[in-house]
Amino acid sequence: MKFLSFSNPADRPLIIALMTTFVILLVGTAYTLTTQGTAPLFTPSYLLQQLQIGSFLGICAAGMMMVVLLGHIDLSVPWTMTAAAMMATTVGGPWAIPAGLSVGLCVGLLNGFGVSVLRIPSMIFTLGVDSVLRGLMVAHTGGFAPQTKASPLMRYLAADTILGIPVAIFVWAFVSLVIVVILTRAGFGKSIYAVGVKEGAAYLSGIRTRRVITGSFVASSLCAATAGILLAGYSAKAYQDMGTQYLLPAIAAVVLGGTHILGGRGRYLGTLLGATLLVFLNSVLSILQMPESYRQIIYGVVIITMLLVYGRGKQN
Amino acid sequence: MDSVDFCCQAGSIHGILGENGAGKSTLIKILSGVLAPSEGQVIFDGRNVAYRSTAEATADGIVCIFQELSLVPDLSVAENIFIDQPPRRFGLIDTRKQRQMAKEILARIKCEDVDPDAHIRELSLSRRQMIEIAKALVKNPRVLILDEATSALTSNDVQTVYDLIAELRADGVACIFISHRMHEVDQLCDQLSVFRNGQHIKSFAKGALSEAEIVQLMIGREITAQFPPKRDKSLGETTLSVSDLRWEDSLKGVDIDVHAGEIVGLGGLDGQGHKELLLALFGALHGVEGQISLKGRPYRPASPALSKRLGLALVPEDRKTEGLMLEMSIGDNLLLPNYPEVSKNGVIDGGMAKAAIEKAVALLQIKVGSPDHPVETLSGGNQQKGVIAKWLMLNPDVILLNDPTRGIDVGTKQEIYRLMRDLVDAGKSVLLYSTDYAELIGCCDRVCVMYDGRVVSELEGDALTEKAIVAASLNIHTEAVA
Repeated sequence: MKFLSFSNPADRPLIIALMTTFVILLVGTAYTLTTQGTAPLFTPSYLLQQLQIGSFLGICAAGMMMVVLLGHIDLSVPWTMTAAAMMATTVGGPWAIPAGLSVGLCVGLLNGFGVSVLRIPSMIFTLGVDSVLRGLMVAHTGGFAPQTKASPLMRYLAADTILGIPVAIFVWAFVSLVIVVILTRAGFGKSIYAVGVKEGAAYLSGIRTRRVITGSFVASSLCAATAGILLAGYSAKAYQDMGTQYLLPAIAAVVLGGTHILGGRGRYLGTLLGATLLVFLNSVLSILQMPESYRQIIYGVVIITMLLVYGRGKQN
Repeated sequence: MDSVDFCCQAGSIHGILGENGAGKSTLIKILSGVLAPSEGQVIFDGRNVAYRSTAEATADGIVCIFQELSLVPDLSVAENIFIDQPPRRFGLIDTRKQRQMAKEILARIKCEDVDPDAHIRELSLSRRQMIEIAKALVKNPRVLILDEATSALTSNDVQTVYDLIAELRADGVACIFISHRMHEVDQLCDQLSVFRNGQHIKSFAKGALSEAEIVQLMIGREITAQFPPKRDKSLGETTLSVSDLRWEDSLKGVDIDVHAGEIVGLGGLDGQGHKELLLALFGALHGVEGQISLKGRPYRPASPALSKRLGLALVPEDRKTEGLMLEMSIGDNLLLPNYPEVSKNGVIDGGMAKAAIEKAVALLQIKVGSPDHPVETLSGGNQQKGVIAKWLMLNPDVILLNDPTRGIDVGTKQEIYRLMRDLVDAGKSVLLYSTDYAELIGCCDRVCVMYDGRVVSELEGDALTEKAIVAASLNIHTEAVA
C-alpha cells in the first residue's frame, strides 16, 4: 500500500494533521526556550508520557471511527467507559478486565440492535443508552466515587512500562493493529465502508447489513470499555464522569483524520494522527500556561480551521 | 472532448447520437454552464457567451434535463418543480399558487394523476422523469436539452414528450435531444449529429442516412445481427417456480415459471409490479406471501444474503444508487458480494481477490484503467457491466435483471444480449425486465406481460410481437386488436 502523497486528495487531511502536530510542538518549544531556555517537548520522556495519556483518547477514537464510517455515531462512549471501569474495579482480581469488556460487549450489542433492527437514529439511541448507563452507575455507587481499587493487571497495563515505554502505548498499538486489519483486509471491514457509502446498495449486494452495523457498534463499545479500564488503571480507581471529557475529542480525532462524518471514507492512519494531534495540542496549551477559557477557544478554533483547510483542498 | 464544432437552429429538433463516453454529455454540460470549455467559444443569439453557472444559462433560456435525476426525494412534486423560483407572496413561498401552477404544468405533460403534494420518493422512475421535464418547462426554455430524458419513460409518457417537443418547436424553441433509442431519434429529430470518442463525426438531415449507416458511424465498426439467435435446444427443468406471489398493493398473485436454458422477459407498462417482483424474489421485500420453489426446493426469500447463497443474483434498476458504490474502487465494487469467497477466516486473501477481479473484468471485457480507480470514472455501459460482473463472479443459477440496458450505448447492449444468451446456453436461467419492446422481442424466449400486479399474458414464438405486448400491457385481449 502506498503511503501519503499530497497529490492524493484523500491523503491531504492526514498530511495537514501531521504537519500541524509538528507546528504545535514547535510553538511549545519556542515558548519553553524563551521562558526557561530548555526544549523538553522533543525529549522521548515527554513524548512517551503524552502518548501514554493519549492512548485513552486514541483507543476511544479507534472505536468511534468504525461507527462513523457507517455514517452513524456513538454517543454512549462516556458512560460505557465509566461503566466498564466501575464494573472492572467492583469485580476486581483476575476477572476485572473480562467484566469491564463484557460491559462493552453488552452495550455494543444493545446499540447495534437499536440502530440496525429497531432503526432508531444512532444519535438518539446511543444518547439514550448513555443516559441509562449513567443512571445505572449512579444507582450502583450511590453517586459517590466507588471505594474499590483497580486490579494489579489494570494498573500494569495503564501505568507500567516495558523497556521504558509505557504499556498503555502497546495496548493502543494492539487495538490499532486489529482495527487496521479489519478495515483493510477483512470482508467485514470492506462491508463497513460499503454500508457507509450506500446501505441500500450494500443490502442488495447480499451484505448482511444488520450484522455489519451491530459489529461496528460492538467494536466501538469494546474500545470505549478498554479505554475506561485503562483510565481506571491509570488513576488506580474508577470515578463518576471519568469518560465525559473523551467523547467530543474522540469524534474530533476521527474527523480531523479525514474520515467523512457521513460515512464511507477514511483511513485509520488519519484517526491515529488526529488523536495524536489533539493530545499534543492539549498538552502544549497547558504548557503555555494559558487560562482555561483561552485554551478552550484555541482548541475549538484549531479544529474548525483545519476542517476549513480540508474543505478547500477537496474543491480543487 | 476534442475540438468540436456544433450548431443548432431555433425551431428545430437536433438529435445527438453516440456511444457512452462519446462526449455528448460533456457538450451539454458546456452549453448549460456546468463546465467551462478549456478552449473555444459558445455563441448564442449571435452573442459570445461564457456561462459560469447553470443559473446564468437558465437566465438566457438554456435549460437542460440531465440524465441523472435532480429531484429532491423528500420534497413534494410542486416544491420540486418550482425549486429555483417559487411563486412568492410577502417574501414567503405562496404554496397555494405553487400548487395551482404545478397542477397546470402537470396537465400540460399529461400527468394529471400525479398529486402536486405527493413526495417524489413515492413516484415511479418514469413519473419522476416527467416531473423533471415539468421542472424544465416552467423555466420557459429557448433551448431545451434532453439528455437521455426518455430512457426511463414508459411508452405512453414517451409519446407525450414527443408531442410536447413538437409543440415547443412550433414556438421557435431549439431542442437538443440525446437518446440511445435509435428509432426515437430517427422519428423525432430534424437534424442529427453523431459523436464518437469526443469528436463530432457528422451532422446530417433526418433521413439522409439509413439506420445501419448511422450505427456504423456511431461505433465505427461493422455490427452483425443485433440480437444473438434464440434457443434451439429443448428446455431444461424448472429452476424457479412462482405461484400466487403477493406483496402489499403491488403484487396480486403472480404466477411464473422459469426453466434452465431460457430467457424469460417481463413486459408491460411501468409500475405494474415488475420491480417489486424481482425484489421480492431476491428477498429484499418483507411480508411477501405465496409459494416459490427454487431448483425443486421450497424457497422463502428472507434476505438478499440468503438468496445470494442459494444461487440468485439481481441486477437492480438503478446502477448508480442500487447497483454500485460510485466513489469506491472498481475492485471493491466487484468484490462486494464475493467477500466470503475470497476470504480465509474472515481475512481477505489478496491473491484470490486479485484473480477474481481480473477474471470478471476479462469475462465482461470491462474497459478499466486500473481496478483501483473509483467506479464513477467508468462510462455508463462499463458501470453496468460491472454490476453484472460482480454477480457473475458467484456463478448464480438464476439471474434477475431489471432493465439492464437502460441508458447505455449500442455496443455494450449487444455485448449484454450476447452474454445473457451465453449464460442460458450454459444452463442458467435469466428473468429480464425491460422497458424496450424491441429488446424483449429480440432477446427473450418467452415474455410474460404484467398488468396491475399479475401476469396477464405469456407470449412465445410468433405470437411475440410488439403489437401483442402493447395490447397485453393495456390488458386488452390480442384477438380484439387483431
